[in-house]
Amino acid sequence: MRFGRTSKALGVAAVAALALSACAANTGTETPEESTEGEATGGNIRVVEVNAFSSFNSNSSEGNVDINGKIAYATHSGFNYINNDLEVVANEDFGTIEVLSEDPLSVKYTVNEGVNWSDGEPVDGGDLLLSWAIGSGYFNDAKTDDAGEVVSGTTYFDYAGDTGGLALTELPEIGDDGRSITLNYSEPFADYEVAFGTMTEGGISTPAHVLAEKGGLADEDALIELIETAPAGDPENPEERPEVQALADFWNTGFDTKSLPSDTSLFLSNGPFIASAITPDQSMTLTRNADYSWGPEANVDEITVRYIGEAPAQVQALQNGEVDIIAPQASADTVEQLEALEGVTVEQGNQLSYDHIDLNYSGVFEDENVREAFMKTIPREQIVETIVRKINPDAEPLDSQLFLADQAPYEESAANNGSDAFAEVDIEGARELLDGATPEVRIMYNRDNPNRLNSYTLIAESASQAGFKVVDGGLGASDWGSALGNGTYDATIFGWINSGVGVSGVPQIFRTGNGSNFNGFSSPEADELMDELIVTTDPDEQDALQVQIDKLIWDSKYGLPLFQVPGVDAYSDNVTGIVYMPNQTGVWWNFWDWQVVQ
Amino acid sequence: MVTYIVRRLVTAVLILFGASFVVYQLTALSGDPLEDLRASNAPNREQLIQARTELLDLNTPAPLRYFGWLAGAAKCLVPFAATCDLGTSIQGEAVTTALARAMGNTITLVTTATVLAIIIGVSLGIITALRQYSGLDYGVTFLSFLFFSLPIFWLAVLLKEFGAIGFNNFLADPDIPPTTIVVVAIASGLIWSLFASRSWKRKGIAFLLGAVAAAALLFLLDLADWFTSPGLGPIVILVTGVGIAFGVVLLTAGLRNRKALYASLIMVALGLVAYYVVNPILNGATVWMIIILAVITILVGMGVGFLLGGYDRGQSMRAAALTGVFMGLLIVIDRFMVTWPAYVGNSRVRGRPIATVGAETPGLDGTFWINGLDTFTHLLLPTLALLLASLASYSRYSRASMLEIMNMDYIRTARAKGLSERTVVMRHAFRNALIPLATLVAFDIGALIGGAIITEQVFAFAGMGQLFVQALRRTDPDPIMGFFLVAGILALVFNLVADIVYSFLDPRVRVKA
Repeated sequence: MRFGRTSKALGVAAVAALALSACAANTGTETPEESTEGEATGGNIRVVEVNAFSSFNSNSSEGNVDINGKIAYATHSGFNYINNDLEVVANEDFGTIEVLSEDPLSVKYTVNEGVNWSDGEPVDGGDLLLSWAIGSGYFNDAKTDDAGEVVSGTTYFDYAGDTGGLALTELPEIGDDGRSITLNYSEPFADYEVAFGTMTEGGISTPAHVLAEKGGLADEDALIELIETAPAGDPENPEERPEVQALADFWNTGFDTKSLPSDTSLFLSNGPFIASAITPDQSMTLTRNADYSWGPEANVDEITVRYIGEAPAQVQALQNGEVDIIAPQASADTVEQLEALEGVTVEQGNQLSYDHIDLNYSGVFEDENVREAFMKTIPREQIVETIVRKINPDAEPLDSQLFLADQAPYEESAANNGSDAFAEVDIEGARELLDGATPEVRIMYNRDNPNRLNSYTLIAESASQAGFKVVDGGLGASDWGSALGNGTYDATIFGWINSGVGVSGVPQIFRTGNGSNFNGFSSPEADELMDELIVTTDPDEQDALQVQIDKLIWDSKYGLPLFQVPGVDAYSDNVTGIVYMPNQTGVWWNFWDWQVVQ
Repeated sequence: MVTYIVRRLVTAVLILFGASFVVYQLTALSGDPLEDLRASNAPNREQLIQARTELLDLNTPAPLRYFGWLAGAAKCLVPFAATCDLGTSIQGEAVTTALARAMGNTITLVTTATVLAIIIGVSLGIITALRQYSGLDYGVTFLSFLFFSLPIFWLAVLLKEFGAIGFNNFLADPDIPPTTIVVVAIASGLIWSLFASRSWKRKGIAFLLGAVAAAALLFLLDLADWFTSPGLGPIVILVTGVGIAFGVVLLTAGLRNRKALYASLIMVALGLVAYYVVNPILNGATVWMIIILAVITILVGMGVGFLLGGYDRGQSMRAAALTGVFMGLLIVIDRFMVTWPAYVGNSRVRGRPIATVGAETPGLDGTFWINGLDTFTHLLLPTLALLLASLASYSRYSRASMLEIMNMDYIRTARAKGLSERTVVMRHAFRNALIPLATLVAFDIGALIGGAIITEQVFAFAGMGQLFVQALRRTDPDPIMGFFLVAGILALVFNLVADIVYSFLDPRVRVKA
C-alpha cells in the first residue's frame, strides 16, 4: 500500500533525523570564529554630527559646512590651533611662525623637516604658496555691479574665508630651504596669527602636487612657477588665465564627494587621522595616520563619525551605547533628557553666537534719551532666565558688545563700559527720561525663531510699562533677513557670531557705513580706534583698544547684547578627555585627548 | 483600451509639467537661501552673499529659473544618452547621484514594512471578517486604530526606549523575573482566548493553554540561556516544520488531500536532511547562494508534489514547494540565531545589538550572516514602527471587502452545493475580496519610494524623506525637484496601473473604449 510505504519512509526519515541530531547536533551549524576587529590598543570612539560630510575641501564655498571643517581639522595639521579659552596655541612640532619685523609686518612660516602628506610627499613651500594664493585671492579680478552680478573678470578660487588679510601681502617667495615662505604685509594686520595655516581653518589642507596634477600642470614646480610669474589680478584689466582657471575649477569642486574616492590623492592627510571609510549620509571612519608625529598625537586609533540630525535621536543613541559623544542642538528638553541618563556626563556652556537688540540711530530713536529710556526697560535678566538658564544654568546676560564671556578681557570691559546701568529694569528711570512722551517703537525680529519671539514678548511688555507703544514688526524666517537695515523698523532683535579670535569682525559691525552696520551707528572716535585696531598686532594693545571701543558703543546707547546662545554636549562614561568648546570646532578641538576607558 | 492608456499618459505628462512648476515656485518661495548670511557679521559677508547668489542663480526670478531646470531635466528623456541633468545640491552633489542613493536606502527600509503590512493586515482583516463582532474582531480593531492614531515619532521613541535600550539592557543580563513571566503568561492567555470560538468554556481552556505554554516557554528559554545563545536545533525545526506542513496543506489543498499532505511532510524530512547537508556550505553564503538554494527548494518541492500527486497534481506541488520554502526559512533563521553570539560580541557592536539609528554599524566587516544580522537589528525598529502604523488601513479595507463578499449570493450558493468551508473562504471569497485591495496596494507601492519622512528623520535613515527635508531646510530647489519627479511619476504611473489592473481583475468595471 502506498499509504503504508509513505508513512514508513516518513518514519525512517524522522528516526534518521533524530539520530543525526543526537550524534551530530552541533556539527551542522558551526560558525567560524569572528576575528576580533580593531586589534588596536587605543580603541575606537564614536562621535555624532548633525550634518553629513560632503567635501574634503572645507574652504571652498560649497564645502564650507561645519562637519567638513571638523574632518579637515582632524586630518590636517597647521601652525596653530585655537583652544577652548579661545586662545591661539602654536603647534611648533609642525612648523614655526616667526615675526621678522613688526612694522612693516613680515612673518616667516617654516614647515619642519619630516612633515609629510600621507602619500609620502613632504609638506613644503609649494603647499604654503598655494595656500596663500587661494587665501589671498591673488588672481581674482572680478568686478561686480550693485546687484551682485559679475560684470567683468573672474573670481578664481571660490574661497569661503575672508581674503582681506592675506590680500595685504605681496607675492611671497619660497625660502632657500624650500620649506618656508615669508609674508610681507603692506600694512600691519591685526589677525595675522590666524590668517594663515591655522588648524581651526583646516590648516595646510591642499597638497600642491595633487592640485598641480589634477589641474593639468606637469608637477608642483610648474605650479610654483605659475603662481610666481603670473601677475596679480587687477579688476580694471581682467585677463584670461586658463591655467589658473583649471586649477581653481578643480579646487572648487574636485574635492567634493559624499563617498570615499578610489583616488587616494583626493584625501591626503598631514594630520593625526586619515579618512578610511565613508557610507554616504550615514557615517564616516577616520583611522590613525601612521606617519604622523608633528603635533598632538591621538590616544584613539579610530574615530567613527555618525550623522544624526534629530536631538532626541542623538540622546537615545547615546543612551543605547551606539555612540560615545554627542553635541545636539541645545534645547531645554534635550538637556533634561540628558541629565536623566545614567553613565553620561553633560557639559553646558556658551556658544559664540549671541542675541542682541539694536536701536536705530534714526526715526523715533534719534534722540539719545529715548534710546536710553528704552534700554532701561529691557528685562535682560528675565530673558536669560526664561530662555537660557534651562539649558545653561550658569548663564548671565552678556555685558559687552565686543567680548564674549569666555574671553579673557570680558570682565574688564564689562566693568568699564557702563553696562551695569542696564543690569536691572528701571521703569521709573525710563519714564523720567521720556518725560511723558509715548514714542511708538516698531521692533523687527524673526518670528519663526522661538527665542527671538520670547525676547520680543518680554521686551514689549516691559517697555509698554514705561509708556512706549511697541509695535510688533516680526517677520517670517524667509523675510526678516532681507529687511535688515531697510529702515522699516526702529529696533531689531537678532544674532551675531563672534569669531572668538581676531578683531577683523569688529569694524564690519560698528564702523560707519560698513556692511553689517544696520542701525546707522557712527562715532568718529570709535572709527579711528577701529582703524588703529585692525593694524595693531599686539594682543594686549588690541584688548585695550577694544575696551575703549566697547565703552564708546555703550555710551552712545547703541542697544543691548542679550545673551550668548547656550550649547551642550554629552559623552558616555566609556570615554574621557572631552572638554566643552564654544567655537565651531566644538568637541573636536582636542580630539587628541579623547581616550577610551579600558 | 490602448486609447484609454494613451489618454491617461498624456494627461499624466501635463499634470507633471504643471505640478513641477508649482512645486518649484513653492520651494523657491519657502525660504530665504541667504538668511544666515544676511545677518552675518563676517568681514567677507558681501563676498559670501555674492557667491551663493551666483551658485543658486538668485538674480533670475524663480519662474524663469524653473525653465533652466526644465531644460536640464528634459535631457533625461533622451534614451541611453546619459545626459540627464537634474542639477546639483547646494553642496555640489549631482541630484541624480543623491536620488539613486536615497532611493536605494528608502527601498531597503520601506519594502519589508510594506510587504509585511500587506500580508499581516490582509490576514487580520480576513480573520476578523470571518469572526465578525467577536472579541478577536474588537481586539484587532482597537489595536489597529490605536497604532494608526499614535504619532509615529512618538511610537518610534517608545520603540527605541523599550525595544532597543530596554531589550539591550535585558540581553546584557538575560534573567526573566517571575513577575514578567506571569504578566506575559496572562497576556498570551488572553490572546489565545481571543482566537478561541464563542463558548466561555472553550475560551477558558484556550486561556489556560496559552498561559501555560507561554510561561513554560519563557521558563525553559531562560533556563537554557537561550537569549544569549539562541538557536532552533533539529527538533524544533522538525516539530515546527510538521506544523507548517499541516498549516500549508490546510490552506492550499485541505487536509483531505492526503497526497498533498504527504508531499509536504516529505519536504519537511528533506529539509531536515538539508539542515545537515547544506549547513557546511552556508559558511561562505552570499545572497545569490541563498536565492539559488531557494529556487532549488521550490523545484524539489514541485518535483515531490508531481511524483506523489494524483489527478490534482497542482495542489500537491504548490503545498510541497511552499512547505519547502518555509523549511528553508527555518534553516536560515536557525543559522542567523547561531551566529547571534558572535555578532553581539563583536567589538563594534559592543554587546548592544538592537540599534536606534542608521542602517548599519559603521566599520562592521563580517560574513553574510553577521552583516545580515546587522541589517536586521538596524531595520527592526523602523520596520515595526511603519508596520504598526499601516496595519489599520489594510486590515480595515480587507475586513470590509471580505464581509461584503461573504454576504453575496454566490457564496450562499457555494455553501448550498456542499463545498467545504475552506473552499468557500479561500477559493470563492478570499480571491474576490482582494480585488478592491489591488488599488490600495498599487498606491502604496507608488508612495513607497516617496519615503517615510518622519520615520527616516527619527531613525536617522538617509532615504528620500531626508533628502527632501534637508533640501527644503536649505531652500535648495534642485534636490526637491528630483524628489518630486520620482515621487510624482511613480504616483501617476501606479495610479494608472491600479486602474488597469482593476479592470483586468474585475470584469464588471472593464472599460469599453
